[in-house]
Amino acid sequence: MSSMALEPLLHHTLRQSSPKIHPVKHRKSVPFSVNFNSRPVKIGGSLSLSRFKPHKSLSVIACSATTTLPKTSESTDVIYSETFQLTRVEKVEGKIHVRLDQGKDGDHWQLTVGCSLPGKWVLHWGVHYVGDVGSEWDQPPNEMRPPGSIAVKDYAVQTPLRKSSASDGGECLHEVHIDFNCNSKIAAINFVLKDEETKSWYRHKGRDFVVPLVEYLGDRDNVLGAKRGFDFWPGTFGELSKVLLKAEEPQPKAGGGVAASAGSTQANRLLEGFYEELPLVKKVPLCNTLTVSVRKSPESAQKLVHLETDLPGDVVVHWGVCRDGTKKWEVPPAPHPSDTEIFKNKALRTRLQIKKDGSGAEGFFTLGKETTGFPFVLKLNDGTWLNNKGDDYFIPLPATHEENLSEEKEAYISTGSPSGSITTDEKPSIEGQEVAQTTFTDGIIKEIRNIVTDISSERKWKTKSKEAQESILHEIERLAAEAYSIFRSSSTTFLEEPVQEPKEVEPTIAISSGTGTGFEILCQGFNWESHKSGRWYLELQEKAAELASLGFTVIWLPPPTESVSPEGYMPKDLYNLNSRYGTIEELKAVVTRFHEVGIKVLGDVVLNHRCAHYKNQNGIWNIFGGRLNWDDRAVVADDPHFQGRGNKSSGDNFHAAPNIDHSQDFVRKDIKEWLCWLRKDIGYDGWRLDFVRGFWGGYVKDYIEASKPYFAVGEYWDSLSYTYGEMDYNQDAHRQRIIDWINAAGGTAGAFDVTTKGILHAVLQRCEYWRLSDPKGKPPGVVGWWPSRAVTFIENHDTGSTQGHWRFPGGKEMQGYAYILTHPGTPAVFYDHLFSHYQPEISALISLRNRKKVSCRSTVKIVKADRDVYAAVIDDEVAMKIGPGHYEPQSGPQQWSVAVEGNDYKVWEAL
Amino acid sequence: KNRVCSTHSRNMRGCNDRSCGCTLRAAKAADAVPAEKVFEYSSSSGASLKSMDGMRVFVGLPLDVLSEGGKVNHEKAIGAGLRALKLMGADGVELPVWWGIAEKEAMGKYDWSGYLAIAELVQKMGLKLHVSLCFHASSKPKIPLPEWVSQAGQADPSIFFTDRVGRQFKGCLSLAVDDVPIFDGKSPIQVYQEFCESFKSSFAGFMGSTITGITVGLGPDGELRYPSSHLAAKPNNNPGVGEFQCYDKYMLSHLKQHAEETGNPLWGLGGPHDVPHYDQAPSVNTFFKDEGGSWETTYGDFFLSWYSSQLIAHGNRILSCASSTFSDNLVTVSGKLPLVYSWYKTQSHPSELTAGFYNTANRNGYEAVVDMFAKNSCRLILPGMDLLDEHQPSGSSPQSLLAQIKGSCRKHGVRVSGQNLSVSGVTAGFGEMKKNLLEDNGLVDLFMYQRMGADFFSPKHFPLFTEFVRSLNQLDLDEDDMPQGEGVMRSIQAKAEAQA
Repeated sequence: MSSMALEPLLHHTLRQSSPKIHPVKHRKSVPFSVNFNSRPVKIGGSLSLSRFKPHKSLSVIACSATTTLPKTSESTDVIYSETFQLTRVEKVEGKIHVRLDQGKDGDHWQLTVGCSLPGKWVLHWGVHYVGDVGSEWDQPPNEMRPPGSIAVKDYAVQTPLRKSSASDGGECLHEVHIDFNCNSKIAAINFVLKDEETKSWYRHKGRDFVVPLVEYLGDRDNVLGAKRGFDFWPGTFGELSKVLLKAEEPQPKAGGGVAASAGSTQANRLLEGFYEELPLVKKVPLCNTLTVSVRKSPESAQKLVHLETDLPGDVVVHWGVCRDGTKKWEVPPAPHPSDTEIFKNKALRTRLQIKKDGSGAEGFFTLGKETTGFPFVLKLNDGTWLNNKGDDYFIPLPATHEENLSEEKEAYISTGSPSGSITTDEKPSIEGQEVAQTTFTDGIIKEIRNIVTDISSERKWKTKSKEAQESILHEIERLAAEAYSIFRSSSTTFLEEPVQEPKEVEPTIAISSGTGTGFEILCQGFNWESHKSGRWYLELQEKAAELASLGFTVIWLPPPTESVSPEGYMPKDLYNLNSRYGTIEELKAVVTRFHEVGIKVLGDVVLNHRCAHYKNQNGIWNIFGGRLNWDDRAVVADDPHFQGRGNKSSGDNFHAAPNIDHSQDFVRKDIKEWLCWLRKDIGYDGWRLDFVRGFWGGYVKDYIEASKPYFAVGEYWDSLSYTYGEMDYNQDAHRQRIIDWINAAGGTAGAFDVTTKGILHAVLQRCEYWRLSDPKGKPPGVVGWWPSRAVTFIENHDTGSTQGHWRFPGGKEMQGYAYILTHPGTPAVFYDHLFSHYQPEISALISLRNRKKVSCRSTVKIVKADRDVYAAVIDDEVAMKIGPGHYEPQSGPQQWSVAVEGNDYKVWEAL
Repeated sequence: KNRVCSTHSRNMRGCNDRSCGCTLRAAKAADAVPAEKVFEYSSSSGASLKSMDGMRVFVGLPLDVLSEGGKVNHEKAIGAGLRALKLMGADGVELPVWWGIAEKEAMGKYDWSGYLAIAELVQKMGLKLHVSLCFHASSKPKIPLPEWVSQAGQADPSIFFTDRVGRQFKGCLSLAVDDVPIFDGKSPIQVYQEFCESFKSSFAGFMGSTITGITVGLGPDGELRYPSSHLAAKPNNNPGVGEFQCYDKYMLSHLKQHAEETGNPLWGLGGPHDVPHYDQAPSVNTFFKDEGGSWETTYGDFFLSWYSSQLIAHGNRILSCASSTFSDNLVTVSGKLPLVYSWYKTQSHPSELTAGFYNTANRNGYEAVVDMFAKNSCRLILPGMDLLDEHQPSGSSPQSLLAQIKGSCRKHGVRVSGQNLSVSGVTAGFGEMKKNLLEDNGLVDLFMYQRMGADFFSPKHFPLFTEFVRSLNQLDLDEDDMPQGEGVMRSIQAKAEAQA
């Protein structure tokens, strides 16, 4: 091996190095934790030493879910008592650390994988042997397997992590040690971590962790300890910030091995000790309880409410009182309990007193006799709000008879420990953390900010409940709409400040590639037969004006590249755009024509697979030609048909052609270049991404950011869940997978809402309209969870047309369109339906959608989801029903008039 | 069945405090305001940590928020807009206060009532207010200078900027009359100062609490520059270089005096003769030529030094006056610079030269300007943070110019407030703005978005703006794109784990 010459210098480990090294190593962990913790600021501490405290409390909380009834209540007086379950999710952060160091003698090495979070951790691992081809795992030799290891199939073992006492500061640390002899033929150790408690898998950048034991593994980015050489931890944060800066996925490659000379005699290995820490976020469901009991005051007609909870830390009760049986919040007259502040004259905020034994907090509230209800919500000190499954807690208080009115006790909230002592899980304030951060060197701040920006959404979610978010959003939108209408109608307004040299600026669209403007209506501009004429582009060109007048804003054209199959989905030379649909010139002309009529054009790009031009030496088709003359390194390794030499696929494989390995830098670079070429030279505005199940969404994000489309949508199509052949009502897992993909793509692209299509099938075939409301009263498809990224459709070239893989229930298409064209999400209309007898009805629905400004972000109120009818009101502007059952919208503030009507559907608009 | 609906209304009623979560930042930022005055930007360490908490975002109110008669225009829309901004997490609004409205009737006779009403509205909404004192006129919407100023101009046309063939720019007073008693014995500087004093006492109750910043107008469109391109015919196309504006009699006498003092009396008779017209390219005529243009000669240096120093001296007069007027209030004083990026890539930077910035390929002309801001402890407002070179005619470079000015600011410890130059409604530039704001380590910590109106609230623009604001508040996804199910959160979680 070429590395042999260096070998004597490199054989040394942390353990064998002088004690001076250790502080260095320890310091290394500090900046990581600081950086990482700074993201969701409200969790965890500011410094590594305090960071894990919350976890301790977690275990306490988790096992104390059963709460005793309030001791204070005297049973005779208690007029109300209820215990509520408080479920919440807490993100805890910790780290995975991976250490490779030399054992007893030069040949013995030990790999240690540890995790600083509590859990039932299992290391799921395997090895590569020297000389293995491809990326498959093998089982490690028996002597490598630590006790307790269990073989999984024939390629991996699972070894539980054990609690380690060796950790500093008494942190809860789980570790596993794998001993091995570096003379064995092992080239690399691969692993992933699994938490048995939550059944979650923890991978590295979406792939396996890899610890290379020989040098061949090259520059794959999931390799740990890969940065070799002599770079000691620099001792400043500059290096770290560099590392973190480039990470949209944080991928701290810690300073790498500290290596010095040792007396190893190992001849053919170049092995360095290293130590790395990787941040880890685990979402832990927590269950606490809240017990509310109400007593009548023995001396007066007042009611004494007692709240007790085992929630740790500060708990603030945000409360009010209701009178006269209403649910209207009011602020009770003073005096108020101690530690109470008035919030905007609408509610009170009272901090519960922490109980003496530290097991939670409690408080007493004395309420006047006229009080008929006690509404409240809880706020935790990390900003989380807890409510009663979406509603405020509301404790009804029966009216009491007037009894003797002795003077009020000043006993409002006087409880528990007066000390204000800090519980173990007290979290440092944000301010504290920021101060701590400011003590670090300058450069890092920016990096933190970058990172914070990247993952910011998490932080926001910690601080506000979903409902609160929504209501704010609705309010903002409503206000903006109001302001818009006034400004627009006002002729006195001028919007421009005279700019000195005004100029045309092309709109940049990267920021909205997931949604376009939000008001897009998509037309799928082909079917499975469109290639047959050989002049599809010309035919479509003639329809451009008609499509524009129908109200479409985006058209999806068929895949344009040279293809082994005439429909275009088996691309070969990506730069050859002469296809069965027409020549490249005709393509450019049709794109130009659509632009003239104001329609944006999506290119159907097939990135998952590509057909090869040539065979390799084994006669396998995996060598490419044309301008992108890739070899078999561009093909994923785990499809035996094509003998790729790339990495394992980051998604599912499509077995009819070589699947492209997007983890290869050269592949990604070429694809980005190609997309940019399509944008620039052909004029495509965006993408319809074929078979995105086949590769990691993070790559899609990369492509989208590089090509900056106006709009992009991915096809993530897999099967819904069925039980005994009957479609399940709950399709959350299905839509979750689609949303996971959108998320991996960073929200830069939408996805076809396959879930909604599937559910509509069941609804229409079986007359089960109740399926159209999920358990939370929202639409059950992707559109219910992330409407702005859902591209709703009922049919496409695969499901329908002459293929008919999953055809929409015949004759009921208009019900489907009545649904998707009135609902949020971005609707897509299939060519075959558009140019059929349905056109007048579809056209009427589209024009209603445009007229009423229904967007992908509109709000939908489901008002009926019964056996035979589903009805909803959208933005208070459009009402609709599908199904044979009866529904008429209530005329309240708005009057309704029928806008479109057809077989088993009816749509109204507000006048 | 009505679940969505009821959830909505409940939250609006009982839990307004939750919405408060997104606006806390505003209060925090306001607390920090006084600290800005002592802000020091060390060039050696290259960073300050003060504004780590993020960017403050203000949105400009419509230029005609008050009618000429001083009444609030479309108050209801303004109210709704303010509330939307508040909920969104914006920090405040920028209010243009016009000389031609507040001191319309006669010198020294102020009418602040309309502006006071707006300040109250803003205060009630819990937003901050940044006031721009506009000593210039606006052409669209039409807001003229005070009548009595125009009358003074009829009496003495030379109080306005004049080009070499005698065409005047009547949008503001020539900087050469700053200290000339043209108004019944009072100089413009005195009039500006009294305007500031009156404003200060009338708004005393808002100063430092609701009003956190004041911009004082320095020239055309409030910017520190000569109106060098006001007669350009086709601003949309490749812009010309503009013309020097040094031909009113006061300017000419300054020039003459300066030339005599420096021993070249013949140079003081006028500006350069070999310059192109407003719309012409620098290659026309010899002054701005890349190779061997007159600008590089001793005469060129003489003239350009004088021309640019006049502008800086003017800026200094106004800023020091404003700075001292408002020094005992907890407000920051700002002045605005233009971003004259046309022809930046040429050697002579002709557009900058005619606008008064002696900035060429060989000379950093912004050092002296920024230094003047630093000496007055003023913030600098920089427009054009939304512009990309690729959208500009060749030869222009907003990005390089911005970087250059920001570099000077960094060096001199001058804080920058950003502005967009394209009017809202152009959906471009949010990415660039964000980049400009987030880089530089807090150099730019305030953004004044231009500006409220129909386009601003249009469905094409407003969601993008919301997204922008929220992303500055360190939020990547825009609000309505927040996934709405736990499922999504779980997924984000999984993503984080995968990256762990």
